Amino acid sequence: MQIEILLGLKDVPGMLVKALEPISRGGGNIVTVYHSRGSGEVVDVNVVFKVKDQKTLEGVLDSLKGDGIQVKSVKAEGHRYYSKRSISFILIGHVIDQDIQDTIDRINKLGLVRGVDVNMSDPTRESAVMMYVDVDEDKAQDLMKAITQISAKKNFMLIREVTS
Amino acid sequence: MKDVRLIIVGFGKIGRGVAETILQKRQIMEEIGLNLKVVAVCEMKGCAVDPNGVDLKGLLEGKVRWGARKTLDVIREQDADVVVELTPGNIETGEPGLSHIKEALQVGKNVVTSNKSPLVVAYKELMELAKKNGVTLRFEATVGGAIPLINTFERELKANKARNIYGILNGTTNFILSKMIEEGVDFKSALKEAQDLGYAETNPDYDVKGIDTAAKVVILANSMLGMNIKLKDVKVEGIERITPEAVELAKQYGFVIKLVGDVAGREVSPRLIPEDHPLNVGGSLNAVQVETDIAGNITLIGRGAGPKETSSAILSDIIAVAEKN
Repeated sequence: MQIEILLGLKDVPGMLVKALEPISRGGGNIVTVYHSRGSGEVVDVNVVFKVKDQKTLEGVLDSLKGDGIQVKSVKAEGHRYYSKRSISFILIGHVIDQDIQDTIDRINKLGLVRGVDVNMSDPTRESAVMMYVDVDEDKAQDLMKAITQISAKKNFMLIREVTS
Repeated sequence: MKDVRLIIVGFGKIGRGVAETILQKRQIMEEIGLNLKVVAVCEMKGCAVDPNGVDLKGLLEGKVRWGARKTLDVIREQDADVVVELTPGNIETGEPGLSHIKEALQVGKNVVTSNKSPLVVAYKELMELAKKNGVTLRFEATVGGAIPLINTFERELKANKARNIYGILNGTTNFILSKMIEEGVDFKSALKEAQDLGYAETNPDYDVKGIDTAAKVVILANSMLGMNIKLKDVKVEGIERITPEAVELAKQYGFVIKLVGDVAGREVSPRLIPEDHPLNVGGSLNAVQVETDIAGNITLIGRGAGPKETSSAILSDIIAVAEKN
């Protein structure tokens, strides 16, 4: 299957080779490399390669992770590939007033807040906020614990998914 | 034809429902070779006793006089095979049902009950007492009303190990949340409607604060997951704080909010359930999903309360006891 990954590489010499090596080592057959130099310290590199199956892909992703290469996104056959887990939850309370930026920052320490949606009919009343967060499978439990703690401290009612 | 002599303790809505069902189902019971003979019915005001069979129809119509014998004495002294304990219980003490059940087990009588409280307070103690006295204690009716959950698992899924159980176990809160989801009303209006229709008590705390669901979580944890927990071990959050805004937001993302008992997690809390998930049941229905190691997920849906529905579970337990002995 065809895989497209977006890598965030430090702009230092030899970095690109270092990033591509785990892909071929792990059994990926590189098709194209697209290198876009931005203005910051991190260069985005888009790599398209082929693997024979999902297991090989997981192996490649593990090697990249092991080598400290940042993988920003993965697409398999054009669809988003979830090596991470996506967690959704609703908070009820004075979520905005209780420093929503701080809430997001704290969650971002463990995962990535992909979306925040606020439903507030009256500023004096409690609002409802939907958040969805991407998190590594092995950090999911810590993340839920952190969200539970934040909710207790800021007096939010936390409504999480049934199987989380 | 085998006589199964019953002592019914508690003649409120549930007790009367069971009596009516026994009368109604007499023929089917005979077809399976059982003659259910109620030898005593006890209530707060006294006991009606007749070794040849109490006149249930007369009792239901208020034509039979209640004798002065005390419930515990009748349980102890009256010859019978099964004590059917149907009193409402105090969740803190388990009484009066706890004393009734203990007495019955101690004198070697099987017990079938719909009463959660004694099991929540003293599950392990009661099961040990039953074992010691060579009798059985069955309680299908305590969780999920008519849904054959505990018995299905015990008999038909014997080779399986249950890993977790998630349940919508309280009809009142499910009715309220279903109203909020379907009509966008707030909690208070939905509760008011539930009360007007008789789905919720005047004091709805026991249901809406999640205590009833927590009691059922304790029973399922102890009976199906082999745990040994009490009510205090369950983290409980009710549904009072859920707003129409939250319900609407959940909907936009393809979820519904339901009060879920998470048995292995020892938790009762409102959760997001995907709209197309089997646990998403409307109205006052109950639903239970058991995660098993071989069979995968099994979901059962049905009516969680009501005298008739409860009677179905009670009769199932009585038959199970009769078939065992």
